[in-house]
Amino acid sequence: MSNRFELPNLGIGLGLRTVHYTHVIDERPDVAWFEILSENFMQTAGKPLHFLDAVAERYPIVMHGVSLSIGSTDPLDRAYLKELVALRDRTRARIVSDHLCFTGVAHKNTHDLLPVPYTEEALRHVTDRVRAVQDFLGGPLALENPSTYVEHAGAQMKEWEFMARLAEDADCALLLDVNNVFVSAFNHGFDPKKYFDAIPWDRVVQFHVAGHTNCETHIIDSHIGPVTEAVWRLLGDAYARAGGASVLLEWDAEIPSFEETHAEALRAREFLPAKPRGAT
Amino acid sequence: MSDRKPAPQLGGATEAFVHERASATPTTVSTRETKSDAHAPAGPPDSSLRAIEEWFVAAITAPHASDQLDADAARLLTRGPKLDAAGRLAIYRYGYRARLVECLADDYPALQFALGQEAFESLCLEYIERHPSSAPSLNFFGRHMARFLRDEARGEEADPFALRGFAADLASLEWALVEVLHARVAERLSQEALAAIPIERWVEARLPSADAVRVLRFEYPVNAFFQAFKNDLSPSATIVSSNRSATAVYRTDMTLWRMDLTPAMATLLESLFAGRSLGAALETLEDGLTADDAAEAERNVMAWFREWVAAGFFAGVELA
Repeated sequence: MSNRFELPNLGIGLGLRTVHYTHVIDERPDVAWFEILSENFMQTAGKPLHFLDAVAERYPIVMHGVSLSIGSTDPLDRAYLKELVALRDRTRARIVSDHLCFTGVAHKNTHDLLPVPYTEEALRHVTDRVRAVQDFLGGPLALENPSTYVEHAGAQMKEWEFMARLAEDADCALLLDVNNVFVSAFNHGFDPKKYFDAIPWDRVVQFHVAGHTNCETHIIDSHIGPVTEAVWRLLGDAYARAGGASVLLEWDAEIPSFEETHAEALRAREFLPAKPRGAT
Repeated sequence: MSDRKPAPQLGGATEAFVHERASATPTTVSTRETKSDAHAPAGPPDSSLRAIEEWFVAAITAPHASDQLDADAARLLTRGPKLDAAGRLAIYRYGYRARLVECLADDYPALQFALGQEAFESLCLEYIERHPSSAPSLNFFGRHMARFLRDEARGEEADPFALRGFAADLASLEWALVEVLHARVAERLSQEALAAIPIERWVEARLPSADAVRVLRFEYPVNAFFQAFKNDLSPSATIVSSNRSATAVYRTDMTLWRMDLTPAMATLLESLFAGRSLGAALETLEDGLTADDAAEAERNVMAWFREWVAAGFFAGVELA
């Protein structure tokens, strides 16, 4: 263990995607673990849960959410949290994560990961909500840095400072998406190393990598295509700083065969230090 | 009318998403931006977190870009290295619509095919404005589409939705597939339990529907259209002419099915699923059908029941 929450390093995993369900169940590929999109298995009693049960029987599961809306000024959705806990218990999920963002307000869900203004008021607000969610979960919540395309003019600190202070104040875990760091660094003009220097690495329990789409004026976190060399190198750096943590590839559009997707995830091995700090 | 043996057809189109519902930002839909200052959201009244969040969501979901929005963006968001504030806000405006259009395209692939990409996207944009999501999951975002097509979609001068009745029927069929995909498959009436009902008590037996079955009536033969679409055939132009039909949509364990129903079958199932006893349901056949259809029912009703029980249409049997 290299994180303070004693969450295991599960190795290199894959995001479980609908186009691969049948392959995963029938072929039982040798994959260390799968991450699921929590909301895809909520508000359903049907076929998605049949698939999930079959996968969870054979593989460790990690849950990744997109609708907790931890930064929203709407009240926390208790019904959603209950479903989240039920899903965690059903899958025996090792990690439960979501994003540092809000997805809507006044009961409208945009289903997008919108950046909160990084202010003292927002920090207090999000800290209180993370604590409440962790109380509900009875365990740590891992928060992921979002990829962002705007910065609020009223921000009083940078995202990395907000993340670091939030993690300490709320005593939560972090899911560091190194592709998102790369994307936001391009879109806002900062050095990813500066971001990394602020991160409390003993709170990082998982990494994400993904492909992105460079539109020249900005980069979109599209999760299309292979991971760029620059992002892989950032992962190597982050992994060494954290002393290792579970690594996951997200590939969500123009998804190739399972074998090709898995092979791309396993490329992480080329960039991870042979023996991370703290390993024996 | 000749007897028609039910021929179950495999599958819906919702079993694997073309667009995964995940944390990615979409890039594939070509939503067009038009500028209009009418209905532009007002800027935030103060700099509180609540006010900023409300403005940001209103700015993203506003149906049109506008000079007012651009001005507010320049005041409330920073300029990036290569994009001004309005350009950066536009990424979120695009992403919001594109993600939801993708979701609807996954739920309604045959409707998308029938209308064509441009008309389908116009329809979706109007739908998104009328029925914004409030749920954490996108699983049921598209649930209003059939009603929206029938009663709400504007259709404009060129009317991209000229085939509104056909499109609404097709949407009903595709939405039933989504519902059945997400429905619980619980304990069902078995052939043994059916056979165990004493013959003298059949008349009082009630056969409630299983969760994962829907009986649908259509003005147009949309199941035939859907099957042709699934088979990569070009559904013929005549198929959209009015021709009443009925279809059962259901799931057996992991497999989705569609079964065309004769008028007698549909009437009988609807009566049973409405809670009528078997005796009362059979009486409705006498009232509501042509002599030929009623005769067909009389000849085949036992075979139908065996087929329906095998398909898991009934949750169980209740005797008064």
